[in-house]
Amino acid sequence: MLQFVLSGVAIGSIYGLIGMALAISFYVTCIINFAQGQLMMVTVMVTAELASSGYPVWLAALAGVACSCVVGILSYVIAVRPILLSNRFSFGWLVSTLGFAVIVENAAAYIWGPTSQAFPPILNGISLPIGGAVLTAQQLLAIVTAAVLAAGFEIVRRHTLFGKLGMATAADPEMASAIGANTTVVAIVAFAVSAIYAGIAGLLIGPSTFANPYLGDTFGTYGFIAMMIGGGTERPIAAMFGGLLLGVCAEGANALINSQASDWFPFIVLVLILIVSPKGLFSTSNPLFRPRRAAVTRG
Amino acid sequence: MAPAFDTQPVAAPRLRVGRWRAAGLAAVLIVYLAATAYIAHTDLGLQSLVLVAAVFGILAISLDLVAGMLGLYSLGQGGFFGIGAYATTILANDYGWNVFGLLVLVLAATALIGMAVGAMSLRVSGLYFAITTFIFTLVLTVLATDMVTVTGGLQGLLGPAFPDFPASLEWLGTPLVWCIMLALLACLGLVWNIRHSPLYPILLSIRDAEPFAEAAGARTAAIKVGVFGVSAAMAGGAGWLFSFLGVVSPSQFDWSVSLNVLVMVLIGGINTSIGPVVGAMFVSMFPNVVNINPWLQEIVYGALSILAITRLPDGVVGIARRALARRAGEIAPAADAAAEALPAALDTAASPASPKDSEVIVECRGIEFGYGLGPKVLRNVDLAVRRGHIHGLIGPNGSGKSTLANVISGGLTPHAGEVLLKGTRVDGLPASSRSRLGLRRTFQAAQLVKELTPTQNVMVGLFDRVPRIIGRAPFWPMLASGRRDLAAMQRRAGEALSLVGAGDWAVRQVADVPHGIEQLTQLASVCVAGPDIIVLDEPATGLSAKEVRHLAAILANLKTQGVTMIIIEHQTRFLFPLCDRVTVLNAGEVILTGSADEVRADPVVRQVYLGE
Repeated sequence: MLQFVLSGVAIGSIYGLIGMALAISFYVTCIINFAQGQLMMVTVMVTAELASSGYPVWLAALAGVACSCVVGILSYVIAVRPILLSNRFSFGWLVSTLGFAVIVENAAAYIWGPTSQAFPPILNGISLPIGGAVLTAQQLLAIVTAAVLAAGFEIVRRHTLFGKLGMATAADPEMASAIGANTTVVAIVAFAVSAIYAGIAGLLIGPSTFANPYLGDTFGTYGFIAMMIGGGTERPIAAMFGGLLLGVCAEGANALINSQASDWFPFIVLVLILIVSPKGLFSTSNPLFRPRRAAVTRG
Repeated sequence: MAPAFDTQPVAAPRLRVGRWRAAGLAAVLIVYLAATAYIAHTDLGLQSLVLVAAVFGILAISLDLVAGMLGLYSLGQGGFFGIGAYATTILANDYGWNVFGLLVLVLAATALIGMAVGAMSLRVSGLYFAITTFIFTLVLTVLATDMVTVTGGLQGLLGPAFPDFPASLEWLGTPLVWCIMLALLACLGLVWNIRHSPLYPILLSIRDAEPFAEAAGARTAAIKVGVFGVSAAMAGGAGWLFSFLGVVSPSQFDWSVSLNVLVMVLIGGINTSIGPVVGAMFVSMFPNVVNINPWLQEIVYGALSILAITRLPDGVVGIARRALARRAGEIAPAADAAAEALPAALDTAASPASPKDSEVIVECRGIEFGYGLGPKVLRNVDLAVRRGHIHGLIGPNGSGKSTLANVISGGLTPHAGEVLLKGTRVDGLPASSRSRLGLRRTFQAAQLVKELTPTQNVMVGLFDRVPRIIGRAPFWPMLASGRRDLAAMQRRAGEALSLVGAGDWAVRQVADVPHGIEQLTQLASVCVAGPDIIVLDEPATGLSAKEVRHLAAILANLKTQGVTMIIIEHQTRFLFPLCDRVTVLNAGEVILTGSADEVRADPVVRQVYLGE
């Protein structure tokens, strides 16, 4: 019991980070970046490449995240901005971000080949017994990192001008730029941050998945589910809750049903949640439990 | 209430144009069938290339039907496609069911599933529709992969064989070629027919201006679900066809297929008749034409789809159309040119003016309403409008005028109180039902379809005045009654536009007309249906002084025809001379109802509203 909850929370925090990465770019531009999983993959591949060429792991990791960051900004400039400029309400981004994902994924497969490569273990070799369960130090690192990043984002969003600017840009870019916000810079920063979140998720999961160009597909999908379960389209941090729930469900299904159950059980949870609350479990429209909101009472 | 359509003989020049068009159509058909016959006799390599492209063509048409005409970007097409293919393969191979019986089953099943998914996901709009259908496909792919005993897992299943022609028809060649090509033709024809039926402007108005369509009597939610059902059945049918082409496996139906179908539609040209097929040909033949390293090929594909979507938002067909239009000078108007202006009608159409103390036709009793958790916007509002009266509704900004208009016309449901139309209680009924009781409304900001002409927009107003538009739409141009009704609708729309003085603009796109003409188009789309009651929300906003005088004349004329009107307006100089009664709202409460003079003289009104 404790074992699968703990390892579920560990893997869930990685899903949650990718979900948050999706939600952060959604938060500013109202589009879903289908290349998010591929941004994670870029970090994993670059880090693996540099580490195997003999650079220190911390430097390789830093360079990997930086590469993701650059590719993330490119995804905005190439695939998102032209669409939003011509028609903010068009759905062309569905196609262009997917096209970007296809390019990145196949470029990686072309450069590194389709097979998996070694990834530096980072903290994966250390086991920590917790109660009756065992976690690797890497899993603990994932949980701690996710908690810090989620809380950090929420604080920035709520308490800084920049966070509010993000909300304003999403709601009405023209208005936001009319009051002096540089919406392009806000959006680029959001995409860079979301790429960093995805890249960090890659560093956390890399030691157990190894480096594979197709990694982005699977984790992009799970990140998406995390966001949808949680309701990350309204508040990015809800994607983290969704990720944790998803991770625990998947690990629980493996432990309690059978070893294949994690392939399908999360999807059933997802469908059930969306039937009850189409915008996600922790969204304001959830009929089951609404987050407390100060009632406006005037006149 | 629904005036019958008199059948007017079609003018001779139009008939000749019609003949040329029919001849052209016949020529295209013959070429199509000849090409099909050629493919049916050619080698297997080319056959499978064309057939796969044709199946994806059907899939792309099915998506364009909902995405182009209704703005519902479905990512579930891959899922319905998979349901069709798997159901056919499993039931034909393992249970020996007849494949043609299975076609019926597949169409019915996917239509039902589509309507269920649509009904579920349309609770939330736009993006969430795309996401929900995306998840639908995702879940189906997972099921197909994991239920190994039934579906064969990742390996997939070998599809059934398509039955042979009987001996007498063997000269036709490969039967599957005929089947797929005729199915593609049927789908093309279906969409082409809908595009040339009066349902088309209605679908676009649901896409761009839903309140307008709803106010014209269209049950927009039901229409969306129904059209999505048709689209799902089409995708399911494509899956049925696909199962005969070889192996059926999960990767052929996953979400990337759904997205590829969207790429096809967007590259070819969204909301065009043949664009989706052009796009499907391009995308599905791409790997065969560009034969390089598979990864490089994918990279080129990704780059091309980004380029296409960012540089050519209208797709190939859109560009071709623009090039043709430039050469031809201007796009020929699809609708009839407006009938010559009928200024006389303004004076002659009089019917006996209503008596002073006629029955109450619209009544609100104790209406209470508030948005969300905010303060009450309407508090205990009573309003009684007599038949044949023009009833003014004035009040400062934020006093609840538009909210009350929405409560009366059905956009909002009051928290308490009753709304009665002609003695029937209507609160709780949707706007479309109130339209059937003879109530129409205009909107403060004109709700129109920008890419259509004013004539086509006005035709939306005739939606519930013409019987069985939806039922006939799939065959519309083929039906004599359809051609006749369309001509009559176009004529009446043109007349209505002339009557309000917008006849000169009838064949321009709404996107190109000035604001005043938009307002008049709105008014024409309301008048064309011959309503008993019209709710006008700030009709004079943004009109020039001359246009306002013109509007006043139109409204006065409508009154002589016995139409009851509720007019919300700030320009009291325009409003008061027209009104029999005026109600003044302030902060959600009625402070006075009386004649214009009484209102003008009332000290409280002068203070809160007229600013004295």
